[in-house]
Order: sequence, then structure tokens, then C-alpha cells
Amino acid sequence: MKAIKGVLLTCDSALKQILLTMNEKQSFIIEDLDDNHVVIKADEEYRVRLEVEAELEKNSFDA
Amino acid sequence: MNLLWLESPIQTSTLAAWVNREAKKTYEGALSMLARLHITTRSDAKLGLNPTFKASFRQAITGGGIHRSFGVPAEKDDKAAVTLDMLDAYAVERWETILHYMVSSGTGQASAKPSQGVLFLLGRSGLMAAGRGGAMQITSLGFQFLLHSPHAQLWELLLQYLHLAEERQMDLVEVLEFLLMLSTMELGRDYSTESLGETQNAMLEDLRDYGLIWQRKATSRRFYPTRLATTLTSSLPPLPTATGTAGSGAQAQGYIILETNYRLYAYTDNPLQTAVLNLFVTLKSRFPNLVVGSVNRDSVRKALSDGITADQIIQYLTTHAHPQMRKNNPLVPVTVQDQIRLWELERNRLKSQEGYLYTSFSSQADYEFVLNYAKQLGVVLWDNTAKRSFFASMEGHANIRGFIERRTAAAAGNG
Repeated sequence: MKAIKGVLLTCDSALKQILLTMNEKQSFIIEDLDDNHVVIKADEEYRVRLEVEAELEKNSFDA
Repeated sequence: MNLLWLESPIQTSTLAAWVNREAKKTYEGALSMLARLHITTRSDAKLGLNPTFKASFRQAITGGGIHRSFGVPAEKDDKAAVTLDMLDAYAVERWETILHYMVSSGTGQASAKPSQGVLFLLGRSGLMAAGRGGAMQITSLGFQFLLHSPHAQLWELLLQYLHLAEERQMDLVEVLEFLLMLSTMELGRDYSTESLGETQNAMLEDLRDYGLIWQRKATSRRFYPTRLATTLTSSLPPLPTATGTAGSGAQAQGYIILETNYRLYAYTDNPLQTAVLNLFVTLKSRFPNLVVGSVNRDSVRKALSDGITADQIIQYLTTHAHPQMRKNNPLVPVTVQDQIRLWELERNRLKSQEGYLYTSFSSQADYEFVLNYAKQLGVVLWDNTAKRSFFASMEGHANIRGFIERRTAAAAGNG
């Protein structure tokens, strides 16, 4: 039995793919649970959030 | 009420005879309530009022004695009488200074600072926090505070004041008494400070800063409650003139027109309202009595990141809608409502919860046993039987670890 400290991220599957791509550059995922859940390292959470935000921002357009 | 004037306790049966049958239930409810408050004393079959309560209540009603529960009006007439307008203007000015300071702290524009006492209270209540360079910065709690009605804001601030009073070792009873006394005072009358206790005299200064009362000089022996104070316990609008000096009739009801194309017109010349709107609207142009702007993704996202929720924005737009808008049904255009909510959802695509992942259980039974325990605690956020692992929140970790340790210890003992 093992207990690993981490942060559980709940998101849609599209966003999870972005996370997986990001993970290839710099690994932060501890365990890939299922389509909507990933456990990541607790101290990486802030950085991941920033990067996801930046990534999503690229996909939005203003009139 | 009749009991008030009866000197001796009365037979409950006699009392029951006063009440008609339909009102029986109300009567019994009232009796048990009074008993719980220790206002009535019940011995055997007799019912009487608590003597102290009886004495003071009689006094309060007849206005006799030297009680001061409704404040003591100043003896002499003030030489220069203070007009209602002046009091209102003062209250509005003070109150808006506080709010405006809060709003503008977020945007970095300088505005008139309220007094130290007010700043301290704002800091303590968590509405503002010291940010970079020690300057006060508004918090998300503060933003939400700004969107409330003045009445709610006032009470929130006063409640904070009560907490603070406790820490400052002020007599809470006196503080409360003074606040309630203020709320029963008559607007435009001057009251004497002489009957006030030491604590209450200290409060005068604070309340002056909030705009609840007005004094000519700090040492003045008389004070005037403003409309903010006298409407504390009533449902009247606390700031009748808060929405501007000119043409306030329409503005008191609302001033915002929001179109389906996200354009927003606000008929106001009030800098505070403009500043509040600026929290979630991109303002385009400004005329003497009109501000034009639009609700767009950037402006709403900025508001959301400040901690304002979509519901609060919509709520604000609804309560301050222009009378013209009230003809529409629903009041705020559905497209705009939905879009604001969508923008909020977009921000919350990623949800994170800290905790522990439990995995590599030696057997299925082991896994189910621990999982059941964790489920009873209500800390399981995710579980998967096939993978034989589950994720539990931070709070549950100590308990679960203890549980597993006890189990392994017991298993070792047996084997």
C-alpha cells in the first residue's frame, strides 16, 4: 500500500490532452487516472495553471 | 400587555379565558417564548412578569424616569440648526469616500483616503489587505462587498466593528446599546453626549468616520444621527441621495440599460457608481450624465479573477436596472446572462483539490476495506476499483493513515 501526496485535477478530456502534451515537455503528472482526472505534483500546480491559462488564451478570439 | 400593570401573578386559567379559541396556538407559543426569555415567571398555576422587566418596560413605555434608551435630546437649541440636507450630504460623502477608496485601490488611481480607524477596520474585516509596498489593496471579499446594497454593506461593517470592539476590550453591551439607540433616534435632531458612557464616547469618533453621526467639532457636546444611523433597523433606504444630486428620482430606482449586444449605458454622474461599473465593464466614453461601455470577455474575466462571481454581476445589473429595462422580461438579456456564466465556467475548467493518492493495495479486500472507511469519512474524491486506487482529500489523510496502521498492527499481532 502506498500513499502519494499530490493535487487532483478534474477537467474535461480536451483539457487533459493539453496537460498530457505539457507533461511531455516537463514532467509533472504523478498518475493519469482516467479521462477526467489526473494527479500532479503539489508544488507544480501554480505553474501548470498559468500555462494552461496561457494555452487556452491562444484559442479565444475577441470581436 | 395586560400583565404589565398587574402587580401580582395571575391564574393561568384566568389568562386563558382572555384568549379566543382560534388564537390558542399563538397564545401558547407566545407564553413558552416568554418563559424561555425569563420574562414571565411561572409558579404552579400562576403566571407573572419578571419584576425587573416589568419595571423597566413600564418606564420605557410611559417615558418616565431618567432612562436613556431612546437617546437624550440636547437641552438647548443649537444656535445654527443643521438641516436634513446637510446631514444627508455628510453621510453620503463619508460613506462614498470609504467605498470609493476601496474601488480605486484596485485600479491604482489615488482617491481621498478615509481616516486611519476606517482603514484599520477594512483591513481587519478582510475586505482589504496590505498589498505591494504596504498600500491597501482590495480583496475579493471587498469586491463582493461593493456589489451589495448600502444597507447590507452598513450592517456588515458594523458587525465587523462589533468584533473589533470585543478585541479592544470595549463593553459590548454598551456598543450594542448605542447602535440600537441610534437607530431609534430622530433624524435632524441633536442629541446630547453627556448621558453617554465612556465607551460610547469613544464610539462617537468612529461612527463619525463612517458617516453615521455628525458633530460640529470633535469636542462638541451634541451630535446628530444621520440617515445612515436612523435607518439601521428599518427597511427605508439608508442613502436616499446616494445616487447623485441631480435628478435623483429616476436614479434611485436604477440607471443601467444593458442591450442584447452587450452594450451598456449607465445614466449616472456619480463617480462611485462609475467606479463600481468599471470593475466588470469596459467603459468607452463618458458624458456629463451618461457612461457608455460594453460587457466583454476581458472585462468579465478581470472581475472573475478579482473574486466576483457571475451571479453577483448579474444580480448587480438586475437591482440597478433602469426603469426602461424593467419592461423587459427577463430583465437582463438572456444572451448576456448566459455569456457571463459561460465566461465563468471557462475559467473553472480546471478544478484542483489537494490530497493523497492511495494505491498499490496488496489485495482487493484490503482496498475495499480502506475505501469503505474513507467513504464513511466522506473524504473520497475519486476512486477506481480496476486500478485499485483512490484519491482522498487532505483532511482525511491523518485518519486514514491511522486506520491503516492500526490494521497492519492488528494483522501482525494475529500472525
